[in-house]
Amino acid sequence: MAVPIFITAASVSAELHQAMTEARGLALTAKNARAVAVRAGSKTVGFRAITDFIEELASAIIAQSRVINHHAEKLSNQAVVAWQAENAITFFREVEREKPEHLASIQPRIRECDQNLASLDHELQIGLRDLIGQIDESNKHIRTANLIATSSHVEAATAGDFREQLEVIADNIRKTADRIASHLHRANSLLSQNHRERKIAC
Amino acid sequence: MLATVLYEDGDHRWIMFTRDPGKPDAINNTNHYLVQSGTEAILLDPGSIEMFAPMLSSVLKYVPADNITRMFASRQSPDISSSLGLWDQALPNASLFAPSLWEGFLKHFGMTNIHYKPIPDEGMTMTLGHTQLQFIPAHYLPSPANFHVWDAKAGILMSGDVGTAPEEPGSSHWVDSLDRHIPKMKKYHQRWMPSDAARQDWIRRAKAMDAKILAPQHGRLFKGPQVNEFLNWFEQLPVGVAVHS
Repeated sequence: MAVPIFITAASVSAELHQAMTEARGLALTAKNARAVAVRAGSKTVGFRAITDFIEELASAIIAQSRVINHHAEKLSNQAVVAWQAENAITFFREVEREKPEHLASIQPRIRECDQNLASLDHELQIGLRDLIGQIDESNKHIRTANLIATSSHVEAATAGDFREQLEVIADNIRKTADRIASHLHRANSLLSQNHRERKIAC
Repeated sequence: MLATVLYEDGDHRWIMFTRDPGKPDAINNTNHYLVQSGTEAILLDPGSIEMFAPMLSSVLKYVPADNITRMFASRQSPDISSSLGLWDQALPNASLFAPSLWEGFLKHFGMTNIHYKPIPDEGMTMTLGHTQLQFIPAHYLPSPANFHVWDAKAGILMSGDVGTAPEEPGSSHWVDSLDRHIPKMKKYHQRWMPSDAARQDWIRRAKAMDAKILAPQHGRLFKGPQVNEFLNWFEQLPVGVAVHS
């Protein structure tokens, strides 16, 4: 049985919330990196430039996660409305099978509910596709984060006494990027699975 | 569901729906009422999600959906009102008369279409077709905001949980002997009815109505002299007993 979209969307929202928390950690890492770079002086000019990228990247991930989170919550709400309509229609079908004398009086309402559900389902399909697209977009940020982590390691190698501290920072960037990537991956899997299941069901 | 016409005079009817054969054993049996007058009808205590399909089916055997312009929920209990979100899809133009105190709670069932008409604590009178129904305060019997429905013309008092008793499937709809019925009602009324003052106030008003039928939400109905017999029995019953357990 397909997992209801409202559960999938709420789970995606939770994953994105985690990603956002990790991205806030990344912003903190950028601040630490900047402090170290200032103390290290001219040996870490390259690293100082990288810290700007890290901060921008963290802000971008936070902003993107917030958008996806909002989108997922909205989708979850829409899915609950669709589920209620679907529920009502299931009961209406039972009533139709019973053929009560005044069945015709409720049929316009049943048709409206059917149309409403079809339109809600259509919106949900679009919403799901959009969410998958937005998560793909976030994955580009992760690729950038990994590039920054690699550059940070290169810069750390020339930082003399500060090498060890900067390597810790570069490692932090990579680990944080990995954790964000795994949240995005889980969100993507949940959405893709639901999308596939709904296509099969249709 | 079994449908029983309790009263009929021209286009003024009371119909009770109960004992759905498809009802899961784990849920208690409930009585639901439809009152018709002219081209209008009101559904009293529409029931739970579980009961929605059989209720809608049963009701449509008697009235077209467009005639059900109103619904009434005596209180917030799930066996009375959890189907409201589904009725909202079936009767989007209907009004729901329900205690004002429960408005913010009952709307959690997802009523986006149905218009909520809050009943003030002191109750109110509503015109349905050619007749009038009174929503009679029955607070603390057992819900803190609770109403019964009194139809003076039909002489029927829909009494919610007052008079409730569990009943075996297939038994009569009517109390045949109060003495035999008391053991079924006693524990329920002692446990669920929390306030002696509320009970005495309600009994004083109920006696003045001189109802021909007392129609509770669960179990058998009381008719004729048994209405007063029940009121006299209930009047002397110790209530709120869990305090002493």
